[in-house]
Amino acid sequence: MKPTTDNRQPTINLQRDTHRQPDKRIGITTTIPIEVIYAAGAVPVDLNNVFITDPDPQAMVEQAEFDGYPRNICAWIKGIYSVALQQNIKKIVAVTQGDCSNTCALMETLAVKGLEVIPFAYPYDADYDLLSLQIEKLMVRFGVGWYEVREAKACLDDIRARVHRIDQLAWEDNRVGGFDDHYYQISCSDMNADPGAFRRQCDAFLKQAEAAQPHREELRLAYVGVPPIVSDIYQYLEGMGARVVYNEVQRQFSFPRPVDDLVEQYRRFTYPYGIFRRLEDIKLEIARRRIDAVIHYTQSFCFRQIEDLILQQELDLPVLALEGENPGPLDARSRLRIDSFIEMLKGRERHK
Amino acid sequence: MHVKPESSNRKLTIDNNACNVLPDIGLDLGSRRVKLAFRTAETGELKLYKYDTLTFYREFAVRSREGFCINCEKLGLGPVGKIVVTGYGRNNLELQGAQVVTEITAHAVGASVQSGLDNFICLDLGGQDSKIIRVEKGAVTDFQTNDKCAAGSGRYLESMAAILGVELSELGKYWENPVRLSSTCAIFGESEMIGRIVEGYPWEELCAGINRSVYVRIRPWLLAYKPEVIVFTGGVAKNQAIVRMISEHQEVRVIVPEHPEYNGAIGCLHVNL
Repeated sequence: MKPTTDNRQPTINLQRDTHRQPDKRIGITTTIPIEVIYAAGAVPVDLNNVFITDPDPQAMVEQAEFDGYPRNICAWIKGIYSVALQQNIKKIVAVTQGDCSNTCALMETLAVKGLEVIPFAYPYDADYDLLSLQIEKLMVRFGVGWYEVREAKACLDDIRARVHRIDQLAWEDNRVGGFDDHYYQISCSDMNADPGAFRRQCDAFLKQAEAAQPHREELRLAYVGVPPIVSDIYQYLEGMGARVVYNEVQRQFSFPRPVDDLVEQYRRFTYPYGIFRRLEDIKLEIARRRIDAVIHYTQSFCFRQIEDLILQQELDLPVLALEGENPGPLDARSRLRIDSFIEMLKGRERHK
Repeated sequence: MHVKPESSNRKLTIDNNACNVLPDIGLDLGSRRVKLAFRTAETGELKLYKYDTLTFYREFAVRSREGFCINCEKLGLGPVGKIVVTGYGRNNLELQGAQVVTEITAHAVGASVQSGLDNFICLDLGGQDSKIIRVEKGAVTDFQTNDKCAAGSGRYLESMAAILGVELSELGKYWENPVRLSSTCAIFGESEMIGRIVEGYPWEELCAGINRSVYVRIRPWLLAYKPEVIVFTGGVAKNQAIVRMISEHQEVRVIVPEHPEYNGAIGCLHVNL
């Protein structure tokens, strides 16, 4: 879908100078109906993104460990914990079902530190009524009605349409690299806490990307699973002649199948509803995007490592299970495994 | 091997014109040992050498601005042709003039050369690496390696053998009535083993238990890959008990090549770049 070209500004109340008015910031632990938060004149802040773009994210992980978080727990959870405290976040919407069960303990430890925690649960079976109830409870909590929420949705959808075009430029026109595709889609979880600025950033990027020279990599990869904690995977792969043209979960954050009904929009969001809904989407996109092979990224100590066996069984393509633990560049062992995978894929291509 | 006194500080680089006449080198920079394979120019005889990894870097590698060089004179090799390198240190070392292949390719080629087969599963259990590779019509079509944990690798066997005060070759003789060991971690395994010793289990059963725990660790791979023929390489392949345990698994045929430890280096020597 092509974004509209009009210059109207989002009508929602944008909170730009978030540091001076910290009470307006609402921490989130993954994608939630941010329309509700923006409709309330508040600003969602995806704590994952703040954590991973910190100059020293490893220090955040270590800070949580100093406070008693176990070493063998997901580094994202530890990062969110430390970021919420460091950024002096007062209120947090925590996804207690549909993301990561560690989030429950995370919100409890943050509650002990004095944060107000608002739980949000995606129903496992994507039940419309249950999801609708969750969204409406969130609306009550933030004191907004459907009219304001729909108005916020229209503004956010306008930005999402731009991000959909960026994704299309990545896989269909081959003019966008794997990292940019990842970055713009993942930013949709909170619109970088500044929808106006993010919209302008998208426009500037689109202008440049539409005119960019097409990439001509030998291999087209799917990146499946939670976003990487490692910083250089896309660049490393492209250095070997393999480009990610499908970022599965990140793409879901941009709601690639737009629909007017907000509840339906969050029902179509595959990420919180188990592996089978995700698989439907993955299979469809693998075929559409002419994918050669899949990297299934999982976080150390995450339950999603178990789901790898289903992915390996269900997908007909070669799948590399890649595990990341701490922030920073790819470690030697991961590079070794990626090298071997790419070398194998190129060998298979030659044998065809 | 005989190490000649250092007569010069000649650094090893590739002379492409000389590749056809000088012997090529295959080098596997492993975590515990560096393995080197080459064929003599005169007779084409395969020569294999093994060095402790740290000793190799300290004694025979020279760091320069361009990266590491190998002092071939000191290694007693004389002039050489192409160098193909694999192993954990292959990228970190930036060996000057060397061509790099991954362990997967090196081991697949090595196992194919050593076994004479084109369709097989290569199981390589090294010092800290474990890998399984599917080779079909001579090409790698699938593989798995251990990732964040080296439990159940050769280092575990070394550690356990040291506690029992037994040589690795002796450890590998026992497979009957294995004591159940829950940890294949080289660190936690030690304390568990001490507990079993105190409980009074026979020494042979303790040895068998160690071997079985390595087998149990790789068993899911065997179930997933359903091999008919396994070419078993790496230092752990010299453990007869583990070979026997794998052989009994779904009556799979296990081939341990003549030089299991040198498989990566031999693969480097024969890889077609």
